[in-house]
Amino acid sequence: MAAPSAAGLARRLRAWLPRLTPVRWSRYGPSYLEPDVSKELYQKPLEELSEEEKEKLKLRAVHPIKAAPPSVSTSVFSDPMISKFTNMMMKNGNKVLARSLMSQTLEAIKRKQLEKYHKAPEGEKETIECNPYVIFHQALKNCQPIIGLSSITRGGKTYQVPVPLNDSRKRFLAMKWLITECRENKHRRTLMPEKLSQELLQAFNNEGPIIKKKHVLHKMAEANRAYAHFRWW
Amino acid sequence: KMLRSLRGLVCHPQKLDHRYALHTAAKDCLSSLVKQDVQTPAEGPRAVFYTSENDPANHAEHHEGRHYTIPLEEVKAVFPHGLPHRFQQQIKTFNEACLMVRKPALELFAYLKKSNFAHPAVRYVIYGEKGTGKTMTLCHVVHYCSRQGWLVLHIPDAHLWVKNCRELLQSSYNKDRLDQPLQASFWLKNFKTSNERFLKEIKTQRKYVWGKRDSTEEGRPLGEVVEQGLARVRNASDAVGVVLKEIKQQCHLGFFRLLVAVDGVNALWGRTTLKKEDKSPVSPEELTLVYNLRKMMRNDWSGGAVVTTLSQTGSLFKPRSAYLPQELLGKEGFDVLDPFIPILVSNYSAAEFESCYQYYRHCRWLQHPRGQ
Repeated sequence: MAAPSAAGLARRLRAWLPRLTPVRWSRYGPSYLEPDVSKELYQKPLEELSEEEKEKLKLRAVHPIKAAPPSVSTSVFSDPMISKFTNMMMKNGNKVLARSLMSQTLEAIKRKQLEKYHKAPEGEKETIECNPYVIFHQALKNCQPIIGLSSITRGGKTYQVPVPLNDSRKRFLAMKWLITECRENKHRRTLMPEKLSQELLQAFNNEGPIIKKKHVLHKMAEANRAYAHFRWW
Repeated sequence: KMLRSLRGLVCHPQKLDHRYALHTAAKDCLSSLVKQDVQTPAEGPRAVFYTSENDPANHAEHHEGRHYTIPLEEVKAVFPHGLPHRFQQQIKTFNEACLMVRKPALELFAYLKKSNFAHPAVRYVIYGEKGTGKTMTLCHVVHYCSRQGWLVLHIPDAHLWVKNCRELLQSSYNKDRLDQPLQASFWLKNFKTSNERFLKEIKTQRKYVWGKRDSTEEGRPLGEVVEQGLARVRNASDAVGVVLKEIKQQCHLGFFRLLVAVDGVNALWGRTTLKKEDKSPVSPEELTLVYNLRKMMRNDWSGGAVVTTLSQTGSLFKPRSAYLPQELLGKEGFDVLDPFIPILVSNYSAAEFESCYQYYRHCRWLQHPRGQ
């Protein structure tokens, strides 16, 4: 978005290095704005809008807007984390299957929690969390490592250096561990939704193999504290 | 209540979803369908969708749209194999079995109460689009009849008898026919659980010889025939045939009322996916179970009723949009069942939908904050 237009760059590159042109940069110019998917803003009548919202709408009326990708929807039930997770679970582009597995997982979580809820005595009913979305988000948050390791080569030897991670990297690692764990360590006959729901419930309660993996990573980073100064960024 | 019925009301199902996921997504889509101005009554939160009248015999029109509970022990006794899979999951999750009282069921109760049992058995065919509640209506009727003390012959899904059968034995009784030991013994086991007391009361009227050493004398209770079928799995299908014949013969004497409840009756007259050892296709008449069941379907006996359901879901070689009796039964089946009383089951009306929605909210099935 902030980069110069792709066409201009491509032209300059073409001039400098003929026959080396493919540049996979955004086709949108700098004036293009991201699409805004929330329905609430656009459904309000003109009088109820505050000053900033009016300004924002005027700006959007003048600038061109990028096309919305098909994965983003105006539905109240769409969740960016869930869609990211579904995309990571997808194999060979089979989004239908991935999405159905995801909804089956959420339903399985809800069923297990509701069973526990209905069988629990009155006092404990408040403590049982039944909303599968809340459980999913909390479980992912519990699985995210705080600090990561990266291999840096100095003087011929490679060291595992503890390094801070940014948010997207943490989320990616949590989701990746969850999916690999469910794919590898299960009995041949258990289905993915069942195993996933089990893992998510365990992660929600801060137990289970993924939390252990996170703790192992933290301990390694703690052990290699001495090399922390190798990091130059 | 079956989640599938909500599918008909969902305006634009997310096309990406697999069919199974749609049932679960339907729970999420409820919010898009509920009108904004619906008010929940302040008094008695359960008053709208719940009724404490647990006996189906007393269900009247003012109970329409309400849910009633069936105690769990009764569920195990009356429906060992009858309930659809989704409903069984729902019972497990909510720890209670709640069924909605709907108009087709009330209609059937009225007919059954007024029917003259000296006349030949009347046949009722419950038909409707996919996922509207035909099986659940049938289960409601079965519950009503078992409460009244009828002998209930409940075949949960006739389609299971004409497809996916691993073992086909040649019948010892009749050389042309084929036996299905697994399905027959499974059904006999469930029949035993649901109708214990009748098995002791009904006596056989003929001597049956099972093999060189086994035979059942005249005048023995029917329970022995069932035991024989369960013990010797090879003779299970013949045992089923004997049971059906005996019950049919003794029904007009008036000691008990008989309800024949068959789900997916269109399986009896269609084609099968089974093949004989020489790879030639098997037609339904060649299966002992189907042959005996067809004899029950004819109205040459009195003292009971036959309630059946058409089902496209398990049916073989029928298009998905077919739901009318003429299409699903085929010419043969229609001629055999004709005359019958058709009962249409449609999707939830607005009031029923509202009641179902309130029930789900009460059971905390709708968890998404925007779904409420």
